[in-house]
Amino acid sequence: MACCCYTNFSSTLAPLRLRRPPRRRNSITAANPASVSLSDPFVLDIADKLEDSVSTSSSSSFSLLQKLRDSSSQSLLSQRWPSPKDELYRFTDTSFLKSSKILPASPPSIISPSLSSPASNIITLVDGHVIPALSRIPSLPAGAFAGSAADIPPGALYENLLAAAGELFHNGDLFWNLNGFGAPDLAVVYIPDGARMIDEPLHLRFCAVDAAEAGSGRLPLSNPRVLVVAGKQAELAIVEEHLGVESGEGNSYWSNSVVEIVVEEGGKVSHSYVQKQSVNAAHIKWTLVRQETRSSYELVEISTGGKLSRHNLHVQQLGPDTTTELSAFHVAQGDQIQDLHSKLVLDHPRGYSRQLHKCIVSHSTGHVVFDGNIKVNRFAQQTDAGQLTRTLLLAPRATANVMPNLQIIADDVKCSHGAAISDLEEEHLFYFQARGIDMKTARDALVFSFGSEILARIPFEAYRKSISHQVKELLTAS
Amino acid sequence: MTAHLCFSSLTSLPNPPSISSSSSSTRVHPNSISFKLPSRFRSCDADRRRRSYQTAATLTMDSQTSGKETLETVPSRVLLEVKDLTAIVAESRQEILRGVNLTINEGEVLVGHPDYEVTGGTVSFKGEDLLNMEPETRSHAGLFMSFQTPVEIPGVSNMDFLLMACNARREKRGEPTLSPIEFFGFLSPKLAAVNMNPRFLDRNVNEGFSGGEKKRNEILQLAVLEAELAILDEIDSGLDVDALQDVAKAVNGLLTPHNSILMITHYQRLLDYIKPNYVHIMEAGAIVRTGDISLAKQLEKEGYRAISSA
Repeated sequence: MACCCYTNFSSTLAPLRLRRPPRRRNSITAANPASVSLSDPFVLDIADKLEDSVSTSSSSSFSLLQKLRDSSSQSLLSQRWPSPKDELYRFTDTSFLKSSKILPASPPSIISPSLSSPASNIITLVDGHVIPALSRIPSLPAGAFAGSAADIPPGALYENLLAAAGELFHNGDLFWNLNGFGAPDLAVVYIPDGARMIDEPLHLRFCAVDAAEAGSGRLPLSNPRVLVVAGKQAELAIVEEHLGVESGEGNSYWSNSVVEIVVEEGGKVSHSYVQKQSVNAAHIKWTLVRQETRSSYELVEISTGGKLSRHNLHVQQLGPDTTTELSAFHVAQGDQIQDLHSKLVLDHPRGYSRQLHKCIVSHSTGHVVFDGNIKVNRFAQQTDAGQLTRTLLLAPRATANVMPNLQIIADDVKCSHGAAISDLEEEHLFYFQARGIDMKTARDALVFSFGSEILARIPFEAYRKSISHQVKELLTAS
Repeated sequence: MTAHLCFSSLTSLPNPPSISSSSSSTRVHPNSISFKLPSRFRSCDADRRRRSYQTAATLTMDSQTSGKETLETVPSRVLLEVKDLTAIVAESRQEILRGVNLTINEGEVLVGHPDYEVTGGTVSFKGEDLLNMEPETRSHAGLFMSFQTPVEIPGVSNMDFLLMACNARREKRGEPTLSPIEFFGFLSPKLAAVNMNPRFLDRNVNEGFSGGEKKRNEILQLAVLEAELAILDEIDSGLDVDALQDVAKAVNGLLTPHNSILMITHYQRLLDYIKPNYVHIMEAGAIVRTGDISLAKQLEKEGYRAISSA
């Protein structure tokens, strides 16, 4: 099997390709010690194994995916594994991944019935593969498509998607490129101009099945990837759910997913994102959103799982009068790290954005990280941008690193931001006690109520109820 | 500063209460009691705490109390007893109570506000030492204290809050807890009694409530907890006439011969709707005068100065 190597080591980094004859690799590294600083052996090792795994996968041959792999492989080898010296990973300790033996997840074989879900519109991805047997979309509008990119019929739709997927995102980090290089399949949701799919949401279910026993040091890696395109004036509601499906409790795996969303002119996308991975899993995720003129995008994120959970959220407003609303609720218990790095770029007049980030750290070894960047560029006049982050630290030595930041260049804007980190309000607890409610019950109620503001924003009652129930159980058990 | 307290009782009382200002004990028997006090005395917000507590106040109470001798002979009828209570603001060490027998600031002190510190005297509720009880234990014992400015609790629905409070009390009494549906049945007549729309149950505790709604919500909590002694701290503050009538109606709707209410207020107006049995006047952290409703009327006419100089 081919392995990783470099073609070129000029001082300006030229495009690198992974596919090289195996023998040349050693000779180059040996002959050119300078290359060591350009490449990271750990990254090379992962890329190497991923390449082996995707080339054996049968569904890897269609050109949308091939194009993605080509572009990702070019960037991948110039990237190092993040260290605390990198601004973006200053507070996020990735040593859990670094110290594990990372193996590509094996392709799903037997589909367990436990993976079925009561949702009416659902696409199930198992370790990155779209599973048609566990996917059904009865209320898919005419002309729309949802499924594996391998099944897209050739024609105008295919060309449209190729164009949408082809727009390269240049700020993707190592994990973005690892996903692009290692994704075994590409799930696509396409809603044509003017079509609506909002009464019944489309449930995107990301199941991690290949998992290793916790503490074994092995970490099966899957790279699920989804592209969502909502056409002009189209409306779409999606519920994205990440979970581990395993026989043993708390197994280890690494889910490295990417979801790209394109909202065309006047389109509306409501996005609910629920992350409840195993507590010994790593969950690294990119959400990239491109919003055209007068479009609207709403995200509600509930993230409670994973030993290491990192969400990179990047939203770009590409036209005037565009609305973006982002809400997130994170819970870090035990030794969990919950990290949200969000970036919102406003480049056009009369943009509107609201971001609310809330998190709870309930154990002394728990850790939350929030870096929320909002860029209001020169032409984004009359922007109305608000950002608020609130953290509840419930245990001594529990840690939160929050970096809310607004960079404003335009001079006629309305922007606000705020950050608060606290324990529960004494005054609230006293009110409960004065009515005869004991401290434990009062604390449980107040802790849950802290997140209920975000939970209430989940637009579908059935989901809102089940997710609220799950969060309540989690918080009460701690 | 001055304020007056009034008590009114719904039932005729065999013995008038005796409340002395500096050394004797005060007894309160099951009945309705209302107090008028200067707001500084009872306030727990920082703003008020900064002000001087050198004030004169009048209290009116509606209760059956008697002197020390009777106290010893009929101890079972004593609900709340405050003896020579002194207290300070913990932070500033400012003296707020100076040997009062039935004091107002204990509003907070009674339920154990952490910002106040009792420095002397005793308070017993139904014969048990109140000062050693935790706030929730005091509630379980049958004492209810209304908040002057009830806090808003975002994210906790009124229904859940009331249910938690109700079940906490039932558990303490060894009664089975109520399910939400059973609880709604229990709550419905109480909602009607305090003239509250059931829609308030779905809203978060006090969040976005108007002044009158907050006060009525306090009374609803009192109704749910079925407390034997309720201390209603300036429930008329910030209310217009209509809201005041609603609140007064709610209070009257809850009165039975077996429970007592101690009201703290600045104005005579509330006493037009809720008739106190007894009125006490408090000044500079001690009760200086005790009488019936005529004392409140006299006060209304002549002001605190006349009372304190008398």
